[in-house]
Amino acid sequence: MSAVLRQHAEQEYAHELAELSQQDKRQRPANWKLSPWAVVTYLVGGKLDNGFEVTPKYIGSRRLMEIAVATLATDRALLLLGVPGTAKSWVSEHLAAAISGDSTMLVQGTAGTGEESIRYGWNYARLLAEGPSMQALVATPVMRAMQDGKIARLEELTRIPADVQDTLITLLSEKTMPVPELNTEVQAVKGFNMIATANDRDRGVNELSSALKRRFNTVVLPLPDTIEDEVDIVKRRVDSLGKALEIPAEKPPLEEIRRVVTIFRELRSGTTVDGKTKVKSPSGTLSSAEAISVVSNGLVMAGHFGDGNLHANDIAASLVGAVVKDPVQDRLIWLEYLETVVKERDGWKDLYRACREISE
Amino acid sequence: MPITVFGIRHHGPGSSRSLVAALENLKPDAILVEGPPDGADVLALAGKEKMHPPVAMLIYRPEEPGQAVFYPFTIFSPEWQAVQYGLRNQIPVRFMDLPQAVQLAQRAALAEEMARKLEAGEELEAPAVEEKTEPEEVEVQQDPLGYLARAAGFEDGERWWEYLVEGRKENRAGIFEAVLEMMTALREERDASGEVPPLVEQQREASMRQIIRDAEKDGFENIAVVCGAWHAPALVKMPAKKADADLLKGLPKVKVAATWIPWTNDRLATSSGYGAGVRSPGWYAHLWENPEDAVVQWMARAARLLREEDLEASAAHVIEAVRLAETLAMMRGRPMPGLDELNEASRSVFCYGSDLPMRIIARRLVVGEVLGTVPDETPLMPFHQDLQRLQNALRLKPEATARTLELDLRNSKNSLDLDRSHLLHRLTLLEIPWGRLGSTYGKGTFREVWTLEWKPELAVAVMEAARWGNTVEDAAVQWARAEAKQTHSLAALTELIDLAILADLDAVTGDLVTRLQSLSALSSDVSELMSSLPGLVGVMRYGNVRKSEVEQIGPVVDGLVTRICVGLAPACSGLADEAARDMFTQLNNTDKAIRLLAMDEHTSEWTGAIRKVAENCNTPLLQGRAARILLDNKDDQPEDTARRMGLALSRGTLPEVAGAWVEGFLHGSGLLLVYDETLWGLINGWLAGVTDEAFIQLLPLLRRTFSTFPAGERKQISLRFSHHSGATQTEEIYDSGQVEQMLPLLEKLLGLNDEKSVSDGQ
Repeated sequence: MSAVLRQHAEQEYAHELAELSQQDKRQRPANWKLSPWAVVTYLVGGKLDNGFEVTPKYIGSRRLMEIAVATLATDRALLLLGVPGTAKSWVSEHLAAAISGDSTMLVQGTAGTGEESIRYGWNYARLLAEGPSMQALVATPVMRAMQDGKIARLEELTRIPADVQDTLITLLSEKTMPVPELNTEVQAVKGFNMIATANDRDRGVNELSSALKRRFNTVVLPLPDTIEDEVDIVKRRVDSLGKALEIPAEKPPLEEIRRVVTIFRELRSGTTVDGKTKVKSPSGTLSSAEAISVVSNGLVMAGHFGDGNLHANDIAASLVGAVVKDPVQDRLIWLEYLETVVKERDGWKDLYRACREISE
Repeated sequence: MPITVFGIRHHGPGSSRSLVAALENLKPDAILVEGPPDGADVLALAGKEKMHPPVAMLIYRPEEPGQAVFYPFTIFSPEWQAVQYGLRNQIPVRFMDLPQAVQLAQRAALAEEMARKLEAGEELEAPAVEEKTEPEEVEVQQDPLGYLARAAGFEDGERWWEYLVEGRKENRAGIFEAVLEMMTALREERDASGEVPPLVEQQREASMRQIIRDAEKDGFENIAVVCGAWHAPALVKMPAKKADADLLKGLPKVKVAATWIPWTNDRLATSSGYGAGVRSPGWYAHLWENPEDAVVQWMARAARLLREEDLEASAAHVIEAVRLAETLAMMRGRPMPGLDELNEASRSVFCYGSDLPMRIIARRLVVGEVLGTVPDETPLMPFHQDLQRLQNALRLKPEATARTLELDLRNSKNSLDLDRSHLLHRLTLLEIPWGRLGSTYGKGTFREVWTLEWKPELAVAVMEAARWGNTVEDAAVQWARAEAKQTHSLAALTELIDLAILADLDAVTGDLVTRLQSLSALSSDVSELMSSLPGLVGVMRYGNVRKSEVEQIGPVVDGLVTRICVGLAPACSGLADEAARDMFTQLNNTDKAIRLLAMDEHTSEWTGAIRKVAENCNTPLLQGRAARILLDNKDDQPEDTARRMGLALSRGTLPEVAGAWVEGFLHGSGLLLVYDETLWGLINGWLAGVTDEAFIQLLPLLRRTFSTFPAGERKQISLRFSHHSGATQTEEIYDSGQVEQMLPLLEKLLGLNDEKSVSDGQ
C-alpha cells in the first residue's frame, strides 16, 4: 500500500479520524461518521479532550469551514469556489473523508463529461445479451453515493457542458435519479450530498444556470489572510514535497520563502506590505500553490546545478515565469514592480539583480 | 425608594425595550437622563413632530465652532426613548453630566498647554489620561455589557442581552437590578486592583449626583435616573455632598451653545470613527422594530433589497438562507442566529460567495441609509456662524451688489489680504460662489482680483456646505478629501492639489498627494500619467508650497517619471492619427517638465526612453519628435540625427509615413534646416525624389508643418530652397532677400506700418 504515490485522505489520516470518532460525543446527522463539530475540528485542527493533537488540513478561517459543514448538514449541496491553488479539491476531499469516510466518489468534470458519467451508463454486452435490467446498468460514483448515503464529489463543475450540468437539478432537489428505461428510480439514502468545486477565473466557461445555482450554497475559499499563514503553508508543503521528490538540497531558508510570498502577496493585492505604495497586478493568479512550486523549483535548481543552498538566482527564473504570464502586459508590470519596489528594499539587491538579468 | 437608577447600554435596542416597560411600570414624576445639561434649552425640540432620529445634539463654542461635541440619538437609543416618554407624558426631563461648558474648557486648556510646550521645545510628557488606559479597559467602560457578552462568547452585546434578559418575560424590573449588580462587581474589581479612575470620570459622576440632588431639592419624589450601565453603581451609592462639591469647585468654563442637527446611520456606525458608535445601527433598528421574528424578516428584507438591484433572490433563497443561518447558530451553540450567522448565510445563499452584493446589504441594511430631520425652529448651524465671524473679522460684508476687490498677497504688514484670499478660495471649493476670481496672472504673481456678490440662494449653498464641517476650513478640508476619493483622473487630482494649496488647506494636501501616488501607481495609461506630470512639477517649482509638501511630492514625481519611462515606448506605438497628435503634445510637455526638474537621474531615464521611441516606434510622428528632442538636448550628435533622418526618409518608406516623421521632427521650428547642411540636403533630396502623385498627397501635411514656423524662418527656408544650388551661409547673410525679410519686423518695431506687419505675420 505504501508504494502508491499518494494515499487517499481517509487512509493517510485514518488514525486521526478513528480518534475523533471515539472522542466525539455530539449528535451526528444520519449516516455521518462524525458530528459537524468534529468534522470542522478535523479540518482546522485542534486538541481533543484527551490531549490528542489533530493536525490542521486547512490553514485559514474556521468560520468558512463551519459554513461548509453546516451546508452539508442541510439538504443543500456545497459549491467551493476560488481561484486556482486555494485548496478547493483538498478541502473537498477531506470533507468527504471526514463525513462519509470515503473520498473516492469522484467525478472529474471536463468539457467532454457526458450525462452517462453523472447518472448511469450501460454495459452494452449485457444489454444486448439480456436486455435492459438493473444488472446491465453501470452505476456512476454519484449513483453509488446516493445508494450508500455518502458524499459525492464533482470536480470542476463549470467545465461540464451546460446541458449535462442540468441533469443535477432533479438529482439535488428531489434527491432521486429516475431510470426511465427500467421504469424505476434510485432514491438517495440519508447522508447523501454533493460537494462541487469550480474555478473562479473560469466562471465564463460554462456559467451555471440560475436554477442549478440555487441548489448550491457557495463558499469562496480565499487566498491566505496573513503573510504568516501563507509562509506557513508554503513551508509545510515545500518540506513534504522535498521529502517526496528526494531533492538533494538543504531546506529552504525561511527568509527566501518569505521573500517569494511577499512578492506574490504584493502583486496580488496591489499594495506593498507596508501599505505605502500601490503596484499593478499581473494577469496570473499568483496563488500559494504557485509560490510552493516556485520555491520547490528553486530547490531543484540549487540541488542539481547550484551549491545545494537556495539563493536568489535559483529562485529568479521560476519567479519571473510565475509572474509574467502575458509577455507584454505582465512584463511591464513586473519591470515596474522591480524598479519601484524591489530595487528600493533593503537587503533585496541580490534578488533585484538576479531578476533584472532574466527579465531584460 | 424615591430614586430608581436604570443602567442602560448606549444605543441598545434591548435596553430600550426593557427601559420603556420599566418606566411605564414606575410612573416617575421626573426623569434624569445622561446627557449634556448645556442642551436643556433645545431639549424640548425633541418632542416636535418634525424631529425624526437619527439626530444629534450638537454642543459647540460659538467663538470656535470647530470645538464641538455631538450626542447622536437613534430611535432605539434608551436615552431617546426615555426623553420621548417624559415629553409624551408631560414629565420633566433633565440631562445630567459634567456640562460640556466645562469639558470643552478643559480640552482647550490641555491643547493650549501642549502647544505652549511644543513651542518652548519641551518634551511632551505622556499625553492625557484617557490614552494611557489599555484599549480593553476603555472598552469595558464604554460598553461594559458588550464586554461581558464577548467574555461569555457572544459576538454581539445585543444578542447576549436578548438571550439573558429578554428571554425571561416575567419580572422585567429585576433586569436593571441585575445589571447594577454586575456593574458593581466590575467596578469593585477595578477599585480592588488599586486603580484610580480618571479624573474626568470622577467629575462626571459627581456632577450627575449633584443634579440628582438638585432634583430632590426641587421636590420630585419619584425620580427615574437613566445612565450608562457603567455609571449606575456610582449614582446609587451617594457619597457626602461636600466631596462632590469639592471635586467640581473652580472648574473653568466656556460659553457654549446647543442645537440639533440631522444625523445619519452611517455616521453612527463605529466604522465612521465615532467612538461610542455601534457596529450595525441598521441591524439594531431592525431588532427594535421586529422583536418577534427578526431572522425571517431580515432575510426577507435582504432578498427584497437584492431584487431591487436586479439580483436573483427568490422566496426559496430566503428559506434556504434562514435554514443555513439557524444550522450555523446551532453548530456554534447559540440560541438564535446573530448578525454574523445572518451575514454568512446571506453571502453563501444569496450572493454565491461574492462580496459585492454583500456590500449592498452591509450599506443599506446593516448600517442603513437613514437621514434624520430636525424641526425648522432649530438654532443656526455652527458653520454659518463661523462664516459670519470670518466675514466680520476680514471686513468682507456680504452685499447684494457686485464689487471688485483687489488683493495683494505679499502684504507683509498684516495678512488680511492673504486671509481673504484663502477664505474666498475655500468658499469656491465648497461651491459657495460668493466671489469670482477675475483674470489670473498665473501662479508666480501675487495679485488676485475678485468680484464679490452675495445672492440669497447662497444661503442654501451654505446649508449644504455645513454638512462638511463646523468651520469653513474644516468643511473645505473634508470636501477636498471626499472629492479626492471620488476622482479617478490624475489631472483632476493635480488640479485639486493646486486648489488646495491656493486655499491653504495644509491639513489635506498630504492626503491628496498620497492619493495621487496610489492613483498614479494604478494607472496604466501612460498618457494620463504624462498629463499630470507638468502640473506637479509646476507645483514643486513655483507653488508657494511649504517644504514638507515638496518633500511629499518629490517621491510621487519620481514614481511618475519612472512609470512614464518604463511605459513610454509601448504607449507610443500603434497609435491612430488623432491619438498620436495627443501623445505628441504630451511628449513635448513632459519633456519640458523634465527639463524643468533638472534632475540628472530623471533626465537620463527620460533620454533612454525617448531614444527607444526614436529607434523603434511605428508611429512616425512621435518617432520624428523623439529624434528632435534628442537633437535639441544634445543627446544626439548631428550625425546621429542625420542617420535617423536618412533612415526615415529612405526610399523604402511610404511618402506619408516619411511626411509624418518630418512633421514630428520639424514641428514648431525649422531654423535648423537653414543652418544644417546635411539635414537640409536630406529633406531636399527626399522631396525632390517623391513622385508627383505622392507630392500632391504630401502637400497638406507639409503645409501644416511649415505653417507652424515663425514667418521669418519660413522665408529663410524658402530662400534656401530657391538657392538650392548650394550657396554657403556666409553669402546668404548678405543676401538682399534676407534684409528684405527683416524689414517687416523693423517696421513693426518702429510702428511704421501696423497692417502690413500683421498681414505678414499671418
